[in-house]
Amino acid sequence: MAVGPTPLPAAAAAPAALPAVETVALRKDFGEIHAVDGIDMSLPPGRIYGLLGPNGSGKTTLIRLLTGLASATSGTVKVMGVQMPSRVNLARIGYMTQSDGIYPELSVWENLSFFAALYGQMDGTDLHRTLELVELDTRTGTPAQNLSGGMRRRLSMACALAHHPDVIFLDEPTVGVDPALRVQFWDHFHRLAANGATLLVSSHVMDEADRCDELLFIRDGHVLAQGTPAELRQRAGTDNLETAFLSFASEPGNAAPAASAATVPTASATTSPKDSVR
Amino acid sequence: MNPRRVAAVFRRIVAQFRRDPRSLALLYVAPLAIIALLGWVLSSQQSTATRVAVIDESGHAAGAAVVSNLQSALEAQPGIVLDRSVADDSTARQMLKDKTLDVVVVLPPDFTVQNRKIDLLTLGLNPTAEASALPAIQKALISAATDSALGSVLPSIDRVTLYGSPNATQLDSLAPVVVGFFAYFFVFILTGISFLRERIGGTLERLLATPVSRAEIVVGYSLGFGFFATIQVAIVLAFVLGRLQIPELGPIPAFAIGLGVHTSGNPLVAYLLVLVLGLGAVSLGILLSTFARTELQVLQFIPIVIVPQALLTGFFWPIEQLPSLLQPVARVLPVTYAIDGLRQVMIAGADLTSPQVLLDLGVLTAIAALFMILAAATIRREVA
Repeated sequence: MAVGPTPLPAAAAAPAALPAVETVALRKDFGEIHAVDGIDMSLPPGRIYGLLGPNGSGKTTLIRLLTGLASATSGTVKVMGVQMPSRVNLARIGYMTQSDGIYPELSVWENLSFFAALYGQMDGTDLHRTLELVELDTRTGTPAQNLSGGMRRRLSMACALAHHPDVIFLDEPTVGVDPALRVQFWDHFHRLAANGATLLVSSHVMDEADRCDELLFIRDGHVLAQGTPAELRQRAGTDNLETAFLSFASEPGNAAPAASAATVPTASATTSPKDSVR
Repeated sequence: MNPRRVAAVFRRIVAQFRRDPRSLALLYVAPLAIIALLGWVLSSQQSTATRVAVIDESGHAAGAAVVSNLQSALEAQPGIVLDRSVADDSTARQMLKDKTLDVVVVLPPDFTVQNRKIDLLTLGLNPTAEASALPAIQKALISAATDSALGSVLPSIDRVTLYGSPNATQLDSLAPVVVGFFAYFFVFILTGISFLRERIGGTLERLLATPVSRAEIVVGYSLGFGFFATIQVAIVLAFVLGRLQIPELGPIPAFAIGLGVHTSGNPLVAYLLVLVLGLGAVSLGILLSTFARTELQVLQFIPIVIVPQALLTGFFWPIEQLPSLLQPVARVLPVTYAIDGLRQVMIAGADLTSPQVLLDLGVLTAIAALFMILAAATIRREVA
């Protein structure tokens, strides 16, 4: 279904490298709704992948399947070559959920050290470095409920990164984060990727897309298109990624076998560019 | 099971709970307040004097003799105040209605030496309270009959009990029940709400994305809440069993802290029973939080889960007195076994060598283990 397993130009590491994330015919149904509708993908390590699509397109469900939090209706998921769900393998995975997933009564430090301890990461100096990274090192004692929304987001990210995972799933990480800090986040994402980590960042905001090494346009549980931002622009014949998304969405093959059913996501696909104008 | 991860969950719960003064108060102050109130109510109930009048409608000398005997016997009874001013039936009835009399003893017109029938007249609004006055009157009747001219001699009765004291008050028998019930109730409510917060707040999702196992979560929770339940039980037991007399101090009258309930058993065994019960309550809270979407819905479990336990587990009535259909229900409820064990220990003075106590402890452990397994099974069911 996906647009080719993508022969990538110079995928950093040796071409024989095991894909960091691999799915085969992955499918998740909620009753009548096909939230993830047969996705095949193979993502080589050491890159940042952007998962782009309108609200309700299946991004979060896909990430939950990749982490093993949801069980697939059919198909398989492998992360770092290990079949998911695998509890042991979760130690190599970082996951930043869309909701902050932190304890409001606990302080910044207590939240971070709690999650880190579950991953077996008990190195206090290293944890402190993680806090410096998200600029919360001066707030270690503040209860999370007294933090601003952006700070909570940063704490949530620190909790996902503290154990230095190989594969990092970030579900809308930059929502509510101010522009200056957002730039820092992306710089850090690139540093992590340069050190060999694989990042899958979901977003419905197109202006972040250009910061990714590779994009996956997703709608109705399908991957509409996959490639570098430049490739996708070129293929769609436009400079604008939003227009590119819409152009892929209206391709005959993608105009959905369910075109007659006129499902909700068709409507949300048209609203997505609006969402992205912020 | 990785002890470091269990310890992390435990530490987190302790830290969270310390920051939550309201829940701390619920756990530590509320039971003491309720038990103190209960002790107060039950103790003052015993000191109320019963106001009694005797009316003679028989109209013959034998009747008059009985009345005068009865009156002096009643006056000799502690807890009874005799009103000699009332002479006729209708005045007495009016005084009952006005609540200036509690019981009227009537020798009816057909009273004879052969037909020794006496009427007892009460208001009938509160049968239990009225019945509590009757033993004293019966005692008076017996002593009146014994030395009356009627001649029949009745034996005097001395009550002896196998366990505890024959003078044991209602409070003495209720205390074990109250201790067990509070541990169960408050631990259940607190765990239920706190685990529900994990479910709806997104932290459970986050937890399950770490290598922590479901069993580690349940055990960590049990240790965390078990720790606070332990302190609660210690405080409640100390309050129920101990009694500290505070002397009069200026305008403050003398008063006592603690109920000073008499126990013949080892408080440590009682403690063990309540602790195992509390561990079951932690897992039940986790389990039932699956079926709630809001904190209010957790509270809605109180009438479904908690109140039936209060009615069926021997809190108010012995299980043997329950309708036969309800008895099997009572026998699967954990509080039943805790209450039975606590009564064995606190009233009968049983210890860990008693097969009855060991059975109760065994059943409680089994129920707690079952709840733990069920709770762990519900945790990964969030696929939303």
